[in-house]
Amino acid sequence: MTSSNLIKIAIAISIGIALGLIYGWVIDPIEYTDVPPNILRQDYRVDYVLMVAEAFQNDHNPETAARHLATLGSEPPATITTSALEYANRNGFTQNEILALQNLLTAMQMVQPPGINTP
Amino acid sequence: MNRLTFHNTTLHLILALLTGLGLGLAYSWFISPVTYVDANPAILRADFKDQYRVVIAASYASTHDLPRARARLELLSDTDPIGELSAQAQRMVGLGESLERAQPLVQLATDLQQGFASVSPTATHFTNTNIFNTPNIETTVDELSATETPTTQLIEEATPFPTLSFEQTPLVPIQVTTNTPRPTRWTAAPIPGPGTPFILAGQDSICEPGLPSSLLQFILMDGRRKQVPGIEIIVTWSQGEDRFFTGFKPELGNGFADFVMQANIIYNVRVVEGGAFVPNISAPSCTDPNGVKYSGGLLLTFQQP
Repeated sequence: MTSSNLIKIAIAISIGIALGLIYGWVIDPIEYTDVPPNILRQDYRVDYVLMVAEAFQNDHNPETAARHLATLGSEPPATITTSALEYANRNGFTQNEILALQNLLTAMQMVQPPGINTP
Repeated sequence: MNRLTFHNTTLHLILALLTGLGLGLAYSWFISPVTYVDANPAILRADFKDQYRVVIAASYASTHDLPRARARLELLSDTDPIGELSAQAQRMVGLGESLERAQPLVQLATDLQQGFASVSPTATHFTNTNIFNTPNIETTVDELSATETPTTQLIEEATPFPTLSFEQTPLVPIQVTTNTPRPTRWTAAPIPGPGTPFILAGQDSICEPGLPSSLLQFILMDGRRKQVPGIEIIVTWSQGEDRFFTGFKPELGNGFADFVMQANIIYNVRVVEGGAFVPNISAPSCTDPNGVKYSGGLLLTFQQP
């Protein structure tokens, strides 16, 4: 086999790899189902935290709130709430919503999260 | 000879291309697949969806913002959100969780079914002022956060806890079938206290071939003929016992519950709250238009005085 042919084969392999990558990453990428909540888009995560904050306004149960927040990942619930609060401040959430998040943050700062991990 | 060489070269090129394609696919699908970082709730694992619904219901129990709760449920892309809520509530009770934990799900399902918040808000923190747009799965939460509660006017007038003055016509045959329009205002009225006994107000055989055979149906109503959810009913028979609650099928009525009897077995029914007791219940014998006998159903209607 001549060197010219080897070059052609190398180019063909490269083209094949490129096509394979385009197909596998762009045209037909792996579709995820059954994902955990820790990869939710940020606005969905924040809305989830807001829901927990709204529920906390009603039941005043920090353990329940911390358990709900633990679904979002292994970070401490106060950290998750802080992130949500920052997002809310940046994105024009209503005063009532921000107040609810602040109340939740205050409660979460006093919660020790033993063994709270993403299920 | 030249043709053979040409064919060989072409074959080599095609093989090389296919090899490259295979390597590229293997890399993009298995070695370094697309990683999801911005998932939406619709693709959450089933147990996380359950958790999501619990939080939606808990939030709704606080805010009574029905459109917003509906919009949040739509993010999960359930084909039947109300059915999912009811089914999850039943699963929770079936797994031994308290009715108190399942109640927000039942309440949300009930309110979605009837189209308005049925309980007054306990807090006034979440009165939104913007216009609500029906969201879809692509709607961002930023948009959702600026939703309006069409029921705000309705529920703001309700202090302290009122009760609704309307009747809901059950979806099962019943002797009284008045269709009262939904109220536009809350009407404060005394509520029968907890423990007020339910009294058997009606016991009707139902011979409808379309219904499941031997179906024992319950409707529990308060003194204003409003159906009451969350009432425990115990059905006992010689070899067993079953316990269940009203309101887990809000599509059939908030005070509805049912139980499938076995033919030729005698049952006793007890409503836990108030202790109403109905002994010797059995499936009635019915005859269809062709003269064939089958086990019919029974409707027990309980009402507080």
